[in-house]
Amino acid sequence: MSKKVLVVDDDPDVRLFSVTVLEENGYTPLEAENGEEGLKMIKAQKPDLVLLDILMPRQSGIRLYRELKTSKSLKDINVIVLSGVAKKTFLRSQKALTEFGGAEVPEPEIYLEKPVEPEELAEVIKKVLG
Amino acid sequence: MKITKLLFVTKFEQLGFDAVRSLLNLRDAALEHVVFVNVIERDRIAMRRGTGYHKEEEIRLRETANIRFIDWAETLFEEGMEVGVYIVVGSMVPEVISATKKEQADLIVIGRSHKGVLEQLYSGSDVTELLHRASTPVLVYKQLSETAIALEEPFERPLLATDWTPASLRAVEYLKGLKGVVHEIHLVHVASEKDLKGSSAMKIQKTRKETRKKLDKICDEFEAAGIKARAHVYIGDPNEEIEKAAKECQATMIVLGSSAKTAWVERWLGSTPREIAEESIYPTLIIPPEKSEP
Repeated sequence: MSKKVLVVDDDPDVRLFSVTVLEENGYTPLEAENGEEGLKMIKAQKPDLVLLDILMPRQSGIRLYRELKTSKSLKDINVIVLSGVAKKTFLRSQKALTEFGGAEVPEPEIYLEKPVEPEELAEVIKKVLG
Repeated sequence: MKITKLLFVTKFEQLGFDAVRSLLNLRDAALEHVVFVNVIERDRIAMRRGTGYHKEEEIRLRETANIRFIDWAETLFEEGMEVGVYIVVGSMVPEVISATKKEQADLIVIGRSHKGVLEQLYSGSDVTELLHRASTPVLVYKQLSETAIALEEPFERPLLATDWTPASLRAVEYLKGLKGVVHEIHLVHVASEKDLKGSSAMKIQKTRKETRKKLDKICDEFEAAGIKARAHVYIGDPNEEIEKAAKECQATMIVLGSSAKTAWVERWLGSTPREIAEESIYPTLIIPPEKSEP
């Protein structure tokens, strides 16, 4: 059975791009358009990988990532961040949230700044999922 | 009532990141989430004779907004805040109402309308329409550079003008939740000259005393909530007197309950909250009565 990859992004064009790359490389794509919906799908579908945007309505990728990595049952799900927000900002925000009393979370497996080429995306997905 | 999430509506030319920054002291109350909203008006990209739908223009406008919002969001994310974004094509007010509902925001921040007088008379301004349709408080933000007053933090010293309507009493509850952000509240009631019944000085002073007593009771509520408050009675035209009171009290913002008039009546006859929101030099927070969204 092919591996399930959840794309969490509010931009339909980006979702279409990622879904196309995933299908062409033999994965089963799932889609969510914000962090809140993404978390529900992660709990229900237990994907092998999450392609995560950061700046989204309802719940940002920063909070979703934190919820994933602090959950006993979900923390082992691989995450590739795919966002226009800089990695430096992501790391600083996680540090700030940790300082406000949250748990420390690890860095994501891969952090890609948008835009990415389809080959580059396919390659990192393959690298993470093996 | 707490402000944990605010919706910041911008077309960029009126409201910039300096306005967002000036509101960040709301974090001392409960603010933790800022949602940026940019509505691309349909007529900017709509079909035109001979040119068709301007898809490229839509992409350009979307990406321009996106780049600005990413920059703003990065600053807020790094401070540990939660940030969201909506960049949508549509009509301003329905899109703002829709985003407010989806996000369950506690406050909408919007710049003043820049439509002309005639245009406002016939089609109404975005601000007027929003004040009618939103069941969420609306802060009509005034660009600081437009005014001679230097407002670092609008919520620091608000002037609350009350006419005892349910909406203005709801404003009291709203402000009571902002301890730690609001340093001092000036509570004002503007009595019209016809309210000063009787021609004797004694009767006029009695009206003032009764009004003052009602205001003092509300001030006591603020004091009990840990916010310093002072009462003032003014006489005359509400629009002029509220503006005058704001200047005399060195207020940083005017707060009012919204009008109960219908949109149509308000457009033709005017209303104090709408006129102050549109014309005052001060940022104006309008608190609606409790109602469900249309």
